Order: sequence, then structure tokens, then C-alpha cells
Amino acid sequence: MNNLKKTKNSIRWVIALKEEAQVILDYYKLKPINEKTIYPIYKNEEETHWLIICGIGRNNAAASTAYLYAYSNASNYTSWINIGIAGSGKGNYGDLYLVDKISTYQRKKSTFPSTLPKANLPKMHLFTSDIPISDYSTCELIDMEGSAFFDIASKLTSKEFICLMKVISDGPENDIKEITRSKISNLIKENLLKIIDVISYYERLSEEEFKIIDKPKLFNEIKSKWHFSATQSYRLETLLRRIEIFCNKKDIEKAIKNCETSNSVINVLNTKIKNNLVNWSKF
Amino acid sequence: MIETIYVEDAIQNHPKTKFILNKFKKSRIISINKYGEIFNKRNQNFRIQKANPCLILAHKKDNFVLPAPEGFGIGSSKNFYFSHMYNCIYDCRYCFLQGMYSSANYVIFVNFEDFDISIKKIIENNVDSKVTFFSGYDCDSLALENVTGFAKHILSIFRKYPQIEIEFRTKSLQKEPFLSAKPMRNVILAYSLMPELMSNSLDNKAPSISKRISVISELALKGWKIGLRFDPLIHGENWKELYKELLENIYNNIFLDNLHSVSFGSLRFPKRMFKDIFKLYPHEPLFTSPLSLNNKMISYDIDIEEEMTSFCKNLSLKYINEDQIFKCSI
Repeated sequence: MNNLKKTKNSIRWVIALKEEAQVILDYYKLKPINEKTIYPIYKNEEETHWLIICGIGRNNAAASTAYLYAYSNASNYTSWINIGIAGSGKGNYGDLYLVDKISTYQRKKSTFPSTLPKANLPKMHLFTSDIPISDYSTCELIDMEGSAFFDIASKLTSKEFICLMKVISDGPENDIKEITRSKISNLIKENLLKIIDVISYYERLSEEEFKIIDKPKLFNEIKSKWHFSATQSYRLETLLRRIEIFCNKKDIEKAIKNCETSNSVINVLNTKIKNNLVNWSKF
Repeated sequence: MIETIYVEDAIQNHPKTKFILNKFKKSRIISINKYGEIFNKRNQNFRIQKANPCLILAHKKDNFVLPAPEGFGIGSSKNFYFSHMYNCIYDCRYCFLQGMYSSANYVIFVNFEDFDISIKKIIENNVDSKVTFFSGYDCDSLALENVTGFAKHILSIFRKYPQIEIEFRTKSLQKEPFLSAKPMRNVILAYSLMPELMSNSLDNKAPSISKRISVISELALKGWKIGLRFDPLIHGENWKELYKELLENIYNNIFLDNLHSVSFGSLRFPKRMFKDIFKLYPHEPLFTSPLSLNNKMISYDIDIEEEMTSFCKNLSLKYINEDQIFKCSI
């Protein structure tokens, strides 16, 4: 658990049923982890994708999201995905929808997930219920996990990194009692291409965020040569980020090679910034 | 293209809401209780939102007009500002709005009528003072004019009070409602400008400087009073040549009789705000500039600021009077 790789893109799936997850497990080549865990957890070899089977209901969704976060050492650039089947009084059986509003019985206020830009997928308002609902007339989408997943995931990352997708499995003309395991798997399978397309956006998003927040190239190297306090480390990181834009690694190394203390490293870098005349024609 | 528009329940039937929604027939409309449910909540990523902002239509409850901060003025004894909108369609890297809100979505307050009441009240309470109002402190005052019609609305108020000045500050090329209206001596159309080379890198999504100058020239010729806002002044290689070229280009291409004022402002960020903006855009060339902490603000050193301001001021004095020049120091 503590020797996890730091990956450039990072996806975490929270899915209620194994039948809903199977297609995802197959496509992304996710294997069960070799440890006993509270909820079943799967990951790919690169450890970029992790998936947890949370079971039905809001409590399970909330607990498993938090559990996967801790277990997989998710970062703040990790994208969180919840996919599953949902009832609907409005959409067509088998269609995939993105969720951009979530309501519950328990709370007056709704929550508003972001959705990926320029998506060709339709969007709907999700109602998360604690009990199965057979009256579809007042809700666009009905599930039993979405709100809890979103509530917890939005504490772990920015809401732009969270995505809820629902495939319509039941409604006024498709009795909930007729849902079978194989029907569930097929509903997800038939939307796999669309799901992959959505996920590729979140993989890119995660990777771009990683590049932005990743430590500057020389940071660890410099830190290993001189002793920096916490405040100095922050200062060093900030200065290196700024200098890397206009100065290559060799020049930075050359500038600081004779420094005797961390303070003098910072002073040298600071002077470099002070003397920099931005060449605006380059940008 | 605005993909999603959030609308507060309370203003769903407001005429301005209907007017605005009518312009976005393909957008998804989501009803909300209060704009705070979407805007400025924690755990939002400003940079990612900025790539595809949503629109929020809301009702403003109070603080319609506020006193302008010290150092923000163009000669009046009393300065006030109002913002019918939060956030901007442009993405200028030096803009304080990046650090101000955690959300990049646009909020438009549709209850213009309440702005009118507050503005009139302030005018009536300050009959003995020279008063200037500034539109567009928390947004660009004209960039979404074709959507909101706010400037057109507010002009009708100021037409009744010719002694009260109003400045619209903008980078937009929006010429209406000004081209079709009779020029008003108390209205200043103020344009933010910097050398094209710098603007190309820093004024993301904003119209080019040459296009802005062309609009300024047209509106000045039509009789509207123009403000030129070189704020912030940006440092870098050949800055003197770049600013000389810009200033001469402007002064030689606009009808100077209608030039109301010119102001110069330095690049400054409150420390906390700089930290937030730098975190969002750590690889931006602007932050490779010689910026450091000076008097609790991140700015160029005072000698750089003074050299730039006096260079631009001295050059401007060849074309305009000293009493037309102001320093913006917030």
C-alpha cells in the first residue's frame, strides 16, 4: 500500500455491482489486488486505473470512495468515475447519460457535478434514493449511490475531476424486476466506446494537472545536496518553476555549483530572476 | 458557446433572464436555488473551468454600488463602482480575477433595476461632489454587452445626470450601444492596452491591440470620450521601444480632442493572490519577470515601476496635458 507508483494519469472507478464493472475490468485490464480488503479492489499493471466494487446504497458508495482514496494513495489530480445503471422516466432504455445535477430526499440543496466539455452525450438530473423507486414520473435518472459518491469525491479533488455516467436500465416500460446480471453487463458493454471516449478526457485532464503540479526537474537533486528548511524548500520550488521557463538545467546547475549553503542557492536563483528580461517575442 | 446555464429559481421569469436565455437556445438550462451553489465553492479548479465556463443568471441582493478602492480614480473626489457581472470572458494572465474567485464561471445579475436605484441614490446624496462611477471592476464592462445589454441600460440613467461621470473599462471591440447613440460628455470609454507583443502572450482570448485601437479611433471620431489605461505596465526586453511604438501609434491615430484621460498602473498582486495565480499557471512567462515582495505586494521593484511610469508619462506629455494623466496605484 505504501509503495505505490506516482503515475501521470490517475483514474479511480467506484461501481456498485461487479456486473456493471466487468466490461471496464476487461477493457482496462484490471486485476484483483493480492490483499484482503473491505471492498473488492482491482487495478491495472501501471496502477493508473483502480476500481472498487462498492455494493448498493449510499453508505457503501461513500465508504468505498473514501476507502479507495486511502488505499490507492489517490492524488488531487486523480479523476473519479462513477458508472452504473439507473432508472429513468424520461430517457431511452440503454442510453448513456452524464449527470450534471444530483438531488436526494435527505437534503434540500442539490449538488452540481461538472461535465466534460463538448461532450456529445446527453445530460440529466440524477435523483439518488435509499430505496428502489418504481414511480419514474418525477425523476430524470434514479440511482442509489450517485449523491454519496459525489459528496465524498468532491472532498478529495476538484469537481472538474469527477464524472458520473448512468445507463438507463429500467423505466415505465422496462420493469426493474426484469433486470438480470447479463442484461446489466450488456447495457454497459453497448456503451463501452462512449465510456472510453469520456475516460480519455479524464486521463488527459489528470495528466495535464500532474505536469502542472509536479515538482520542478531539479528540485529533488538540489535538495539532496544542500539542507533546506520547509520554508526554504517552498521558496526553492517556486524559484525553480519560474527559472525553468527561461533557463536550461545545465545553466542552473552551473550557477549554483559553488554555493555553500541553501541560502546562497536561493540567493543565486533569486538574482537570476531579478536580472531576467522577459523576451516577449518568444512566447 | 455556453454549454450550461444555471438559473436561480427566483429570477426564472425575470424579463432579463428570458432575454438572455433567448440568445442561448442550444444551452442546457439547470435550475438552482442560489448562485453560491455553483459559484466560488471550494474544490473547484479555476483553470479547468476557464476552458469552458458556464453562465449563471442570478439576483443580486445588496452592495449594488460600492466605493472604489483608494488609488482608483481619474480626478473626481468621489469614486464608486458597480459590477453587473462577476468574471470575464477574457483570460488575461495578470488579471486579479484569477485569484479573486475559485470559479471561472460567469455570473450575470439580471436585476438591473436595483442597480439603477442604488446609483440614483448615490448621485442624490453627493450633489456637491464630483462623482465618477466605474462599470466593470469585477468583469469587463462591455465584453458581454451583446448578451446582457447592461451598458445600453445604464447609459439611459447617466443621460439624465450629465454632471456625473461613468467609465466603462474594457478590452472588447463592442461598439454598440455607442455608435448608434448620441455621444455623452460624461461617459468615458476606457480601454486597457499594452504593446501587441506582450498582449499576444498575456491577453488570452482578448481582441488584438490593433483592433482595439481601431475601435478607439472610430468611437473618438464619433465624439465619445476615450480613456487609455496602460494598466498594468509590463516589463521585459525592449520595453521602451515597445511602449514608445504603442503610445505613438495610439496618439497619432485617435482624435485627441476626445481623449479624456490616460492612466498608468504597475503590475501588482497581493501576496496571497499571487500565490493562488502562480499555483494555477506556474509555467507562465509573466512569472519569470523580476517580481518580488515589496510592501506586502508582489510587484516589480520600485525603480522599475518608476522608470516605466515616467518614461510613458514623458512620452505622453508630447501629445496631451499633464492634468489628463493619472496614476493607478491599487
